[in-house]
Amino acid sequence: MSANLNDTLLDRALDGTPDGATLAETIAVNLARSFADGEVGFTGLVTGGAAALFGTSIPLAAMSLAQAMHAPNLTILLAGWSHNPDLGSLSVMPDSEFDSVLRDLPCDAQMLTYPGPWAIKRGDIDFGFSSGVQVDAVGSINSVCIGDPAKPKVRLVGPILQPEHMTLFGREYVMMPHHARRNFVEKVDYVSGVGYPGGLEGRKRLGLNHGGPEWVVTPKCVFDFDKEAGRIRVKSVHRDADRRDLAEHTGFAVDAGNAPLTAAPTKDELDLLRRHVDPNGILLGRRAA
Amino acid sequence: MTNKTSKVGSIADAVTLIPDGTRLAIGGFAIYQHPMAVVRALIRAGRRDLAIVGTVNGNEVDLLVGAGCVKRVETSYVGLEKYGLAPNFRRAVEEGRVEVVDYPEVLSFDRFRASQENFTFWPCDYLGGTDVLARNPDIKPFICPATGRTLHAVPPADPEVVVLHAIAADERGNVILPQRHLLPQGLDVIMARGCDTVIVTVEKIVPQSMIRRHAAQVQIPSYKTTLVVEAPWGAHPTALLGRYATDDAHFRDYVAASASPDGFAAYLDRYVHGPADHQAYLDAVGPGRLGSLTEFDTL
Repeated sequence: MSANLNDTLLDRALDGTPDGATLAETIAVNLARSFADGEVGFTGLVTGGAAALFGTSIPLAAMSLAQAMHAPNLTILLAGWSHNPDLGSLSVMPDSEFDSVLRDLPCDAQMLTYPGPWAIKRGDIDFGFSSGVQVDAVGSINSVCIGDPAKPKVRLVGPILQPEHMTLFGREYVMMPHHARRNFVEKVDYVSGVGYPGGLEGRKRLGLNHGGPEWVVTPKCVFDFDKEAGRIRVKSVHRDADRRDLAEHTGFAVDAGNAPLTAAPTKDELDLLRRHVDPNGILLGRRAA
Repeated sequence: MTNKTSKVGSIADAVTLIPDGTRLAIGGFAIYQHPMAVVRALIRAGRRDLAIVGTVNGNEVDLLVGAGCVKRVETSYVGLEKYGLAPNFRRAVEEGRVEVVDYPEVLSFDRFRASQENFTFWPCDYLGGTDVLARNPDIKPFICPATGRTLHAVPPADPEVVVLHAIAADERGNVILPQRHLLPQGLDVIMARGCDTVIVTVEKIVPQSMIRRHAAQVQIPSYKTTLVVEAPWGAHPTALLGRYATDDAHFRDYVAASASPDGFAAYLDRYVHGPADHQAYLDAVGPGRLGSLTEFDTL
């Protein structure tokens, strides 16, 4: 499936949703409902098209919406260091993590050195968002290479913060901007962030007593995990059509036959999202009417 | 009365301190504030077999690896952020011309903290199940004497030389950080504190009187600095926070040129081998372009 097709679908209203909620809005609302008051959420600053939307804009919209609905004390960490940035003062999304635009973006606190305000190993960060070029059937993710790591077919950027995201954060939302067989594989070529090999017991044997992937969000569905068994499963699909062709586009075995549709936003949630969180369409590309 | 020692030198002096095979840490982060004047001089000097130890690397490593100066890179990231993958690094790794040792990002910071504390290892409890662990023989398991848990001993960064670019220093090598700075500048300080040979290039060598008015911002004091070099626009094409922005057009040209080995060779001829020194490089970029990048922090 081409990137362009996915990009187009993101802007399109889902069937039967109130007020024509788009896929991006629907995902943001579902994420927002899953955050608790007082939590700290961490998102990087991803750039470029669908990757930026999935990796940064939807997470920011979701966290802002949660603050407006039920979680006024949730803390947003943008690019990991700007605490509760004033997104309403932006005219465009920033596209650089450490330049003067973000330095000058009004916020509650900044991280100026390491170690900084958050004690990552004490569990200060409740949830985060990450992505990868591959995710596998146990929820491990890969951002390092395609092919044999000793002589890769494609070298990517490296593990970055993924090992920490998948173990030191309370839970992880893996945001995958494209849904194709090459992205969803039985076993990743390089484990840069570890899922549930052998289930929760398997994680314990690896010395991991905390964290792990919670959902994997794609343009076609939301996956969650049977954490005891250590296996990914379909939590919901975004459209009827996705239920029919999910297996065709997924490289590990999936059963979407009985998967429900992803829960639709309410009218109140959409109003908040469009009029309060993202009135200028900076995050989700849709302006308030 | 004896005068205090000046640590002022030239970019050539910096290159002399970084011989073939040096284990080198380069300041800056991703595509921000790298000591690019020294990086280009290392390539001009034909340095080989450098081992780069870093945290989050970008165009500085891409350039050095593309030019054949590097045998090994230990880091969490080599990429160009919004400009995409690091094209010359990628080509070299795929062709087996450079060895990469992957570390998680926070752990890559901790490796420099270990060097600052002169620890022989940094303890880590979150590597189980990753290929970071499986593929790195330098990371060794040990039993925590307090809890009995299996932890991993991660080698410190231990660079032989650190080179970084800062906004200003005095002749004695007291280095100022801007009051309004960000994480990359903070990480530069950690890097410098864990090494005995620290080279700092600066936009401007300022009088000691100015340093004394900004003493709270001197995070790298004179006794930590080996050599200080005045190199205006020394981070170009990366940004220097508080002085100038990223040269967006230069980055785009760099990425376009780097699509092929021939294109990258032409880039090197134009911007690295062609200009005899840093001043000639700035002339090649052009004063109009440089001027357009100027930023104000506060007025």
